[in-house]
Amino acid sequence: MTTFIELLLGGLSIGSVYALIALGFVVIFKATEVVNFAHASLLLAGGYVTAVLHDDIGFWPALAVGIAGAAVVGSAVEFFVMRRYRGSDQSVLAIVTIGVDILLTTELTRRMGTDVLSLGDPWGDDVVTIGGVTLAETRIAAFLVAGLLITVFLLAFRFTSWGVSMRAAAENPQTAALMGIRLGRVSLSAWAVAGALAAVAALFLTVFPTPGLERATSLAALKAFPAAILGGLDSTTGALVGGLVVGVTESLATGYQSDLSFLGRGIGDLAPYLVMVVVLLVRPAGLFGTKELSRV
Amino acid sequence: MKLRVVGAVVAALTLTLAGCSEKAKSSDDGAADKNGVKTGEGVTDSKITLGALTDMTGVYASLGKSVTQAQQLWVKETNKAGGICDRQIELAVRDHGYDPQKAIGAYTELEPDVLGFTQFIGSPFVSAVESRIDGQDKGIVLPQAWSANLVGSKYVRVIGATYDVETINLIDFLLDGKRIAKGDKIGHVYFEGDYGENALAGSKHAAKEAGLTVVEQKIKPTDNDMTAQVSALKQAGVKAVVISAGPRQAASLVGVAAATGFKVPVVGNNSAYAPQLLATQAGAALQKDYYIGASTLPIGDAAEGPAKLAEAYAAQYPKDGLDNGVIAGYNAASVFGEALKKACASKDLTREGVDKALLTIKDFGADFGIAHDFTDPAAPSTRQTVVMKPDAKTPGGLKVVRPAEVAPAAESFTLKP
Amino acid sequence: MSEAVKDAPAAAPATATPFTDRLRRPAPYLWLTGSVLLLLFPFYLDRFWLQAGLFAMAAAIGAIGLNLLTGSTGQLSMGHAFFLAVGAYGYCILAGESGTENGHALTGLGLPTWLAAVLAVLLAGAAGGLFSPIAGRLSGAYLGIATLALIFIGQHVLFNADSLTGGFNGRPVPPLSLFGLTFDDAEVVVAAVPFQSSEKLWYLGLAALLAGGLFARGVLRGRPGRALNAIRDHRIAAGVMGVPVARYRAGVFVLSSMYAGLAGVLLALVFQRTVPEYFGMILSLEYLAMIVIGGLGSVAGAVIGAAFVSLLPQVLTHYSDSLPLVSAPGTGGIAPGEASRYLYGAAVVAVVLFLPGGLARLKNPGEKKK
Repeated sequence: MTTFIELLLGGLSIGSVYALIALGFVVIFKATEVVNFAHASLLLAGGYVTAVLHDDIGFWPALAVGIAGAAVVGSAVEFFVMRRYRGSDQSVLAIVTIGVDILLTTELTRRMGTDVLSLGDPWGDDVVTIGGVTLAETRIAAFLVAGLLITVFLLAFRFTSWGVSMRAAAENPQTAALMGIRLGRVSLSAWAVAGALAAVAALFLTVFPTPGLERATSLAALKAFPAAILGGLDSTTGALVGGLVVGVTESLATGYQSDLSFLGRGIGDLAPYLVMVVVLLVRPAGLFGTKELSRV
Repeated sequence: MKLRVVGAVVAALTLTLAGCSEKAKSSDDGAADKNGVKTGEGVTDSKITLGALTDMTGVYASLGKSVTQAQQLWVKETNKAGGICDRQIELAVRDHGYDPQKAIGAYTELEPDVLGFTQFIGSPFVSAVESRIDGQDKGIVLPQAWSANLVGSKYVRVIGATYDVETINLIDFLLDGKRIAKGDKIGHVYFEGDYGENALAGSKHAAKEAGLTVVEQKIKPTDNDMTAQVSALKQAGVKAVVISAGPRQAASLVGVAAATGFKVPVVGNNSAYAPQLLATQAGAALQKDYYIGASTLPIGDAAEGPAKLAEAYAAQYPKDGLDNGVIAGYNAASVFGEALKKACASKDLTREGVDKALLTIKDFGADFGIAHDFTDPAAPSTRQTVVMKPDAKTPGGLKVVRPAEVAPAAESFTLKP
Repeated sequence: MSEAVKDAPAAAPATATPFTDRLRRPAPYLWLTGSVLLLLFPFYLDRFWLQAGLFAMAAAIGAIGLNLLTGSTGQLSMGHAFFLAVGAYGYCILAGESGTENGHALTGLGLPTWLAAVLAVLLAGAAGGLFSPIAGRLSGAYLGIATLALIFIGQHVLFNADSLTGGFNGRPVPPLSLFGLTFDDAEVVVAAVPFQSSEKLWYLGLAALLAGGLFARGVLRGRPGRALNAIRDHRIAAGVMGVPVARYRAGVFVLSSMYAGLAGVLLALVFQRTVPEYFGMILSLEYLAMIVIGGLGSVAGAVIGAAFVSLLPQVLTHYSDSLPLVSAPGTGGIAPGEASRYLYGAAVVAVVLFLPGGLARLKNPGEKKK
């Protein structure tokens, strides 16, 4: 039972980090209907800036610069690439983000070389034990920060004018533009927000229990794909639920892999995708996604 | 009709032009230089070209970089000392970035122009070209991987103990130190694939011999967080853990175990450690109760071989850190060099001559702690393992805790049942 | 390398003009030179270049298939590598003999190799068909990421179903035999040139590419092609006009999987051993890059893009000594592998922004946009 609770809590905390990444996808998708495959490199960029600076200016300022840096990279991608596209096919734009991802990831991994970079976080490898259940402090911090950010975001989405303009843009871009909403600004801010969220996620993906930031870190961002899809690509609640589902599934499938050995060992990585395929068979738009309406 | 005209023109031109190809077969086998030394692919009157297929931009970048630079250092030193057989050595390096298409392409590209390969990273790729190596190319290939699947070819020669043998020795080290005893459970966290599964065969054999039970946890190279694995192993009540994975997984495993009060010894194969880890959060935990097995002394050892190499390497590449890839690479290149010298002595620098020469090498490489024996292609070049411990104070981050030794269970172990 | 194939469609539309008029235009001559060159390469080029060319041909076949799906129908697929794997492994399992290798028992059906190749292509199509409950209903990003699941599931199976796939080290590929000619490394001397597997496979690859290209062109220029474009441009309007949208979507998914299967069989024959590592996400991304660089929705585009993406790293590595900026590995600076990634990442972005229609449109800027 203790193991189960440990695995569950571990899954929820890592799942909340996935939710942060997935939220980034969802924000960009809502604002521009583009799936951002370059998200992994935004994450890497944020982590890299933090890792390089923390020795000189301390952890918190470095993290702030890292978050800002990833936001700037995100907006730059929007401003210099996405905005220049004249066509109308969104899946072409998705492929463009793959190109951007290749460029950014190659540059960042070349800079990182073979190092494992520490982000200099204040939690170290401390753990908290409650009733026989042990949990790393970093994971508790991840859960709290992710929860806080997601709540703030949901509120902002609902009540601020920025949130309203973004929802309007998502609903119907032409009408929104006619009502005086600047679509360019909406999509620029969406990319910036996604970058910032990715940088926060980078922090929690590279602190204890993982050794640090290195070239393979960006692969973790892939886990947010099934999270975003199974929740529904255009639903912020969906991103949260999807992230948690992926985290818990992965953790349980790994922890109980001896009992699942008929599926082949090492099923943990795969489990989120299996869940996603099942969800898509039942609900093609994800758990919370809006069903595509047919307007002619 | 038009099509037929075009077709006929194409066919006629093709046939005409095909006739004057320079690729047409001309036999140059058995050429000999003025000293009567027979030469073949990759050898001219003044130069011997060797190949290195490495990974400097992919998943094994840190290993590939150290191994390649160490081999370039060996080439430089050898050439400074006059070369081998009055010829300068040249190393043709190709970086495949752990991409199968590039790796196979690079092998095909270099194969006609080199005598053999001092390095080939990526055991799946070695397996992929193995039938070509054994069937027609017949050049020596020294892979930088220690899988038992690679043993058995006359031309593909693994330098050092294979992962299974190494794992048996590591478990013997734990038994020896009374850390585990008959009836205990041990955990084994391993990569899917060649490396992990080969090591697992070793731990299963050792467990059978010593009356232990193995609790398996298979992981993927992309898993960096070992929390769930540690929980599961703790739940199973294991008394020690073997890790056959990469450095990052080892760091996470040891770090999580220490932080959650799961105090068991952890042993890892030679690929499960990199000195960069000492700077991470897990650094302190790694120096407590974590042990690595390898078939060479650590680069920071005080013995003459490693010390001299460490000095020369640091002088040549002051910006790059020292790790065990340096020794592994240098050692492999020296083995090739020794075979070349012997082949030169018997006046046959063809691939066949070098193959034969390698099969006569015994007791080589003791400078680095373990003597290797290449006379039997069906056996690893040694069954001994040096057990080491991470240590931040030594260059290269490792110090010896048990010198080269072979466990009885490893001696009796048959590779590839 | 594949220039000639690209020229083929340029020569074809001029059917109405008399033969003598056509001789005054450059197109037929380019076509002629290209064909002769392609047929001659095995007599002159090293095995390295032939192998690189074969990789490019296999990639071109796969890219044509993906272009039918993504370029012409607007269905984003990131699972193309999975269907390549089905083709490659399917061929090995169907044609291979049962036996043991490195302690693994391998199952094989030992069918005649030509039959195994055909069945492997059909098998890839069937795998695509199995996925059609999802492929027929989803589109855009949802389909893209759903197909991503195929790669992860596929690689898991490749690594774990030891007795079928050989696990991590893959399994050997039995050489193809066709009409008594075996495409293996046994030397056959043609015009004093020794023909080994690469030389022999070269012609097989050319034939497969030509057949695949012509078939896809037929599909795209006919009724189905117009229906597919209609689905891409306006799904609902297409449905209203009587195009059975779900059936076409599922159908084109199956067809594209079969192209991938054919590419997989050819790749397996070139590799001589299947390596599970290869069939990962990077491969799928490379295929998407190919069709975007070459030009979405056109057969020639897929071929050009495939040649660009798959030859670039080989060329850069080969000439790394003499190129500025690019440096040999281990000497610092940009390694050839990295340089080629920069180049093709940048090419994807640049082509979409500045060259809609891809490299294929460079030649005929006057061609009307559909």
